[in-house]
Amino acid sequence: MEMKNSPKNNFLTRIIEKIIPPIQWRFYVIIMIGIIAGLGLYILYISNATAYLSNDPRACVNCHVMNVHYASWQRGSHARVATCNDCHVPQDNFFRTYWFKANDGLRHATYFTMRWEPQVIQIKEAGKEAVQENCIRCHSNNIHPIALRAISNKNVADQTERYCWECHRNTPHGRVNSLSSAPYARVPSLKSVVPDWLNEFIQSKKEKSN
Amino acid sequence: MKPIQEIIKEKPWVGWVLFIVTVIVVFLIGLFASSIVERRGESFALQVVKPLPDWEPRNEVWGENFPREYETYRQTLDTTFASKHGGSKMIDYLEKYPDLIIMWAGYAFSKDYNQGRGHAYAVKDIRNTLRTGDNTISPQPGTCWTCKSTDVPRVMNNMGVANFYKSKWKDLGAEIINPIGCQDCHDPKTMDLRITRPALIEAFQRQGKDIKSFTHNEMRSLVCAQCHVEYYFKGKEEKYLTFPWDKGFSADDMEKYYDEAEFTDWTHTLSKAPMLKAQHPDFELYMTGVHADRGVSCADCHMPYKTEGGVKFTDHHIQSPLNNIENSCFVCHREKTQKLIENVYQRQDKIEELRHLAERALATVHIEAKIAWDKGATEEEMKPALKLIRHAQWRWDWVAAANGLGFHSPVEAMRVLGTSIQKAEEARREIALVLVKHGVSYPVALPDVSTKDKAQKYIGLNMQEFKKGKKEFMNTTVLEWDKKAKERQGTLISY
Repeated sequence: MEMKNSPKNNFLTRIIEKIIPPIQWRFYVIIMIGIIAGLGLYILYISNATAYLSNDPRACVNCHVMNVHYASWQRGSHARVATCNDCHVPQDNFFRTYWFKANDGLRHATYFTMRWEPQVIQIKEAGKEAVQENCIRCHSNNIHPIALRAISNKNVADQTERYCWECHRNTPHGRVNSLSSAPYARVPSLKSVVPDWLNEFIQSKKEKSN
Repeated sequence: MKPIQEIIKEKPWVGWVLFIVTVIVVFLIGLFASSIVERRGESFALQVVKPLPDWEPRNEVWGENFPREYETYRQTLDTTFASKHGGSKMIDYLEKYPDLIIMWAGYAFSKDYNQGRGHAYAVKDIRNTLRTGDNTISPQPGTCWTCKSTDVPRVMNNMGVANFYKSKWKDLGAEIINPIGCQDCHDPKTMDLRITRPALIEAFQRQGKDIKSFTHNEMRSLVCAQCHVEYYFKGKEEKYLTFPWDKGFSADDMEKYYDEAEFTDWTHTLSKAPMLKAQHPDFELYMTGVHADRGVSCADCHMPYKTEGGVKFTDHHIQSPLNNIENSCFVCHREKTQKLIENVYQRQDKIEELRHLAERALATVHIEAKIAWDKGATEEEMKPALKLIRHAQWRWDWVAAANGLGFHSPVEAMRVLGTSIQKAEEARREIALVLVKHGVSYPVALPDVSTKDKAQKYIGLNMQEFKKGKKEFMNTTVLEWDKKAKERQGTLISY
């Protein structure tokens, strides 16, 4: 085999050489890897994974534990001007935004899939900081006159050691946040994983057999 | 280390181990995938105590599953709230504005026209109104039931939409029993918002829009737009419920639509003008307003979120937001309750002022036209004035018939009323010319039509007879309907 003749000083080459299957197995291994990759794609598809790259609040109700938060957001004044990400993800620079989103998203996905979510979901420290930053980002005009002693917006938060929502408690989700607090909230429903063409195909087969 | 192919060549069991490990990995990935599918399934599952069959019309049966929504819905029975210009209290509009009787001479609205009560009264009130006749005379088609009851989708499904519209109002009485409610807007399986009335779906279809393409937030207005819109009954026999939206949503566009279709609701008995009657273009008027522009839906103000104990839900007590400022307006506006109410009244007062100018001009022009006919005016002479009357009254009605006295879009309401006054006065000028031509001195003496009684007598209505007929109808036919309905559905509660 030609692999034998290649230089062995490269670590990567050595690994590849090691795991490369015998020639008579290659066909089966390719099929195997194909199956695993296909399953991976299937998981990305059914979990609507690409939606998470978007800014659409509908992505957040892919997990129905967020229904309460979606419904109360939608019925509040913030729904007219801000999406979930506008408040819950830092918006100061591209890299931080996506780093935070990836971190949060993967944790949420893991919790949801493993069914670790608590009955009352509470925001974590990093999330609080992000929200507070975003309150200030949009409402800086409102903050200045209140705390005249503040030199910068940040000082308002720093000096008082309070979060905006300690007073503005109903903004924007209302005070009740248990998973069962909005039992029949209608939120945009997920699209079926079965594509339309397949449904139509099955339907037409059924009609023919009838 | 040796390459793997050599290891396997020497020890075949290594190959088997690799194979089995791969099988396990694929198996686990599969399990993971099905776990995701299962969790997706949870979002479709709705916890219902009692599954609902398709077309279940009884709101109280839905209410067993959704007690909070149902209980608040039942509050639409409360008629105690009266705002300055509206509310849930029954107002006799003919008593309040006797000019309307003159304006509707020859049309059923001149007999009886009240401020509508809550949704739960829908069936009761349409049975009660003098407009729907009695045992001997039943002038209305089945189409009149379309927006009154949860039985409508059920019956339409049974007998077909066209047949439903074509039938006589009286013939469907035993079928249409349960007032506007749950299934009009909700799917019984998923509780998702849905459109059950064909006219809205068809109107959008003609514009090339699929009703399924609208967002959830748009649906929170569109379920209301099934009924709170301008519509007409197309065809002398078919009486097919149709929205005149093909040229646009404004009063001017609809006027053009009706003119081209040469549609007339009735011929005025005094002025002989080919008249139009506006229904309640609440949705169309709202669409021109600033609230719609900011993405605020009907439900945001009329059905705001409510907290009860630890539970948040949509308040199904659909009502004037003026009775619920804290839950509706406060979501966005930070003024005091009293201030916000004042702001609404400021706008409504101004609209009412113009509205009355239009009414006075219109009532007068109908009477003046009658005098002109009496003095021998010809059709040729009257034609331009009659067209102006048709348009003027249509525009007045477009604002007046809509709920909320123009608050859904004050600026547009003022504009439309303004053009109404202009057209009515232009019609008066035309008729003045005709009168002078026929030797009548202008201004003419006008009859006293300042009260409901006087106005109804002037247009020749025998109200005692209508009321007697209605009373008899309520004590015979209606009792019969209820009996049949109870036999059909097993239970019947009175709303």
